[in-house]
Amino acid sequence: MRFLLVDTIRELEPGRRIRASKRVPADLELFRDHFPGFPVVPGVLLTEMMAQAAGKCLDAEGARSGRAMLGGIQNASFRGWVRPEEEVMIYAEIVQNQPAYATAKCFLEVDGRKVSSAELFFVFAPYEQFGGRHRDEVLASYLESNPMTGDAASNDDRK
Amino acid sequence: MTEPEAMDWIGALFQEKPGTLKRDTKRADVEAWDSLGVLLLMSALDNDFGITLSDEQLGKIDKVGDVIDVLRQRGVVVLERTS
Repeated sequence: MRFLLVDTIRELEPGRRIRASKRVPADLELFRDHFPGFPVVPGVLLTEMMAQAAGKCLDAEGARSGRAMLGGIQNASFRGWVRPEEEVMIYAEIVQNQPAYATAKCFLEVDGRKVSSAELFFVFAPYEQFGGRHRDEVLASYLESNPMTGDAASNDDRK
Repeated sequence: MTEPEAMDWIGALFQEKPGTLKRDTKRADVEAWDSLGVLLLMSALDNDFGITLSDEQLGKIDKVGDVIDVLRQRGVVVLERTS
């Protein structure tokens, strides 16, 4: 299983907000255990969806020499089940956007029903730490179709 | 906010049990007050009280009492110390 918890970016304002989506395929082995006879997407994966989407929003800004990494989770809640093959809409709004850290308020919806929310804290890991292999496929795909201007367009590391 | 309330705010931030932090508790003695904790503190000061610290000010914070002093200087802690 790859750990891509965002399929598509729908809307993006770098450093400010993002709307993205994810559909978790029914054939994932984890559904054998979570739960037998009642497969639902684990909360930890729902949280990761929010973290990856918010991280892309921060990385797209191109304002730092590091990649956004999840540093903390607050007030996470899981109000509704997410079943295999359901399309999850991921929303993240950046609340604090500082050179050394950032925070985001995030939530997930399925068919307009809010199923999860969390406040996430991010720090930034130098791109060199990834051995020059840092490439965000989903973000790069979005940016190819929706070119940014200014600083956000000049960060070659994320392409 | 009173000083005990400020102490509770710091304790909650670093996931310490109520009453365990004292003014002279050092950063090194608070498990969650590591490099990530420093950033969490910066974020919380800004988010909760609108306080931003310079690197120099941040470098001088080495114990709980230093945070209390910042809150007092910025008018967040306005009542006298009770302990």
